[in-house]
Amino acid sequence: MGKENLVKIAQLSCGSVYSGIQQEIEMAAGMVDAEIIYPEITIDDVKVVQEEFGLQVASPDLRLMMARAKALVDGKVRADAVLIATCFRCAEGALVRNEIRRYIHENSKLPVISYSFTERTTAATLLTRLEALTTTARRRSLLAREHQEGLTAGIDSGSTTTKAVIMKDDKVVGTGWVPTVKVMESATEALDNAMKEAGITRDDIQALGVTGYGRFLIGEEFKASLIQEEITVNSKGAVYLAGFQKGQATVIDIGGMDNKAISVQDGIPGMFTMGGICAGASGRFLEMTAKRLGVDITELGALAVKGMRENVEMNSYCIVFGIQSLVNSLAKGSSADDVAAAACFSVVEQVFMQQLQEVEVKEPLIMVGGSALIAGVPRAMEKLLQIKVTVPPYAQYIGAVGAALLASGFINK
Amino acid sequence: MVKVFIYPSNSLILSDLVDRFGHEPLAMMQEIGKNIRTAGLDSPPINITPEDPKRGLKYAAVEVPAGVRGRMSLLGPLLEEAEAGIIVKEPDISFGCMGCARTNELINFLVRAKKIPLLELNYPNTEEDAKTFVYRIREFLDGLSASGTGKGDE
Amino acid sequence: MSDDDIISKMVVLHSTYTLPSDLVIKIYESKADVTVKETCFGLVIEGKRSEVNRVARELRNLDPNRIFIKERGVPPGDKYLCRAGRGGGPKPGFHHHEVEFALLPYFSEALAEIDRGEIPKIKDVARPHITIDELKDIIEKEVKKSE
Repeated sequence: MGKENLVKIAQLSCGSVYSGIQQEIEMAAGMVDAEIIYPEITIDDVKVVQEEFGLQVASPDLRLMMARAKALVDGKVRADAVLIATCFRCAEGALVRNEIRRYIHENSKLPVISYSFTERTTAATLLTRLEALTTTARRRSLLAREHQEGLTAGIDSGSTTTKAVIMKDDKVVGTGWVPTVKVMESATEALDNAMKEAGITRDDIQALGVTGYGRFLIGEEFKASLIQEEITVNSKGAVYLAGFQKGQATVIDIGGMDNKAISVQDGIPGMFTMGGICAGASGRFLEMTAKRLGVDITELGALAVKGMRENVEMNSYCIVFGIQSLVNSLAKGSSADDVAAAACFSVVEQVFMQQLQEVEVKEPLIMVGGSALIAGVPRAMEKLLQIKVTVPPYAQYIGAVGAALLASGFINK
Repeated sequence: MVKVFIYPSNSLILSDLVDRFGHEPLAMMQEIGKNIRTAGLDSPPINITPEDPKRGLKYAAVEVPAGVRGRMSLLGPLLEEAEAGIIVKEPDISFGCMGCARTNELINFLVRAKKIPLLELNYPNTEEDAKTFVYRIREFLDGLSASGTGKGDE
Repeated sequence: MSDDDIISKMVVLHSTYTLPSDLVIKIYESKADVTVKETCFGLVIEGKRSEVNRVARELRNLDPNRIFIKERGVPPGDKYLCRAGRGGGPKPGFHHHEVEFALLPYFSEALAEIDRGEIPKIKDVARPHITIDELKDIIEKEVKKSE
């Protein structure tokens, strides 16, 4: 990454130093040209903040977090973005983390992310999140782009599949979709397929944008104009394809290994969550279910729509135990339809329980990623949330489309 | 001289009084000082590394947050050395090392469970309270000197 | 724990009679091999444990009831915990220190009284909750008053 304007990230946290991960936070911030700051407050601010906030907690460091949040909202301290972090499994911390996040989101324009860490949290885990945070702080004008211009390409190098698209004047003219084996080879193959469909060569491409796990490697190799994490890119791609570029929206992306839930305002990500506890809540789980049922993944959705998930007993967070539950049900005589429906519901329920709790769901709800094409998945989400779910065209290419769209901002640069 | 564990462990007043009345305060600052000055460790700001919360498993199970276990890895060895203790109940405001209520509950419990001479006091808010506070601490510490090391209960 | 370990101690002064500069002069006079940094609360001294302890004792004797001392984990001017390196707020212990600092005059007075041999009336006992019957009486009385 080139040198960018320094972004000041205010850290509101409890326990990061004592978990031994403060240095990881600082390292991740350094990688995205950001600086961690600790908002100045006085002891009197801390004494009154609980009354003002209406939240009384036992841990003094959590009160310090509230006082610092208030200093930011009141404009007493200048920062460009906010990172809220508390220990994973601390109930008190989770309450404060969520309330502070909501408070900052509602009372300021500061982009904010929150995270619960363990001693295993590394700079690599934090990088994508901080990259999204700093991009929102630093590139508002790029994110304001609503049209794709010229001839651009986008590659999304995901954990499970690599996707590529070629776009010309707001239209997708070529696509490529291959399983990710070796990052570079798969990206080359996906791009070649997309170029072949579009009938163009590498020289015709005016700008290339890359995203996904492999973005740094392929971005450097292909000399991409834009190397961007998937939170920003997928938000942009989703509202663009679904036609909801203005106003609020919620984007849910169930990926091959992890999920994203993003609350979007005018195409710019606001609050978001990434990950989940286990791959049991991901596309991988659906793939394994399809394999066990002896059907192609593309057929799983149709089965699920016919099935009744209530007929299958399923109670697990884990990909191993989850599959075991389904196998047990099949052994007891459950139908493949019901099992498919239960698998889709399980994935959706876990996204709801683990991620949507931290993101305010505002309509329209846009579902993207390959899993969105498994009809049972959006259907289950509609039933669970009681709202309409939109699956835009090219939902499985969302990252590549978002990257191609944003890359067009770099033409002639 | 008796090794006296103090809570809050970063308190100036408690540390000073224990030292002033002839005993050795066991405080978090000593452990942090050792950490910071350990050559070869590089995990700023206070050189707690992800290994420390793992060492903290000795005091609290894995479902206890990493921040609690990391703090326990600093405080635990002090508790083990303690021959007597002074606990101030509901200290007004302590941050950083003493900023986590769950850790503090565990520390207080472990000190009490150790069955060493222990003085528990209310947090002083007025001048009158402060006098009682100092007087009782001195009485307690003098008692420790008289009885040699920490035998018998308060 | 060895006498050669390097440690820091903070010397907190709550006095109108003694100034931080008086303490610094005292340290220079004692020819102790320690580093000294003046702070808003007094001093931070750093050096070998034996030296720091010796200097600390000498300093306290200057104004025993108004000088308070504790060991400090962080060396003076530590780049990670110094306010300058944190883009604003001080290291977390600072606020704790502020709270205790405000109480120091009480403690100075208490130490002086104990020196004079005065014994405070010990009244450090928690007030018990009132009984449910007492509460009932109070409610009934209040209700009657408002009628």
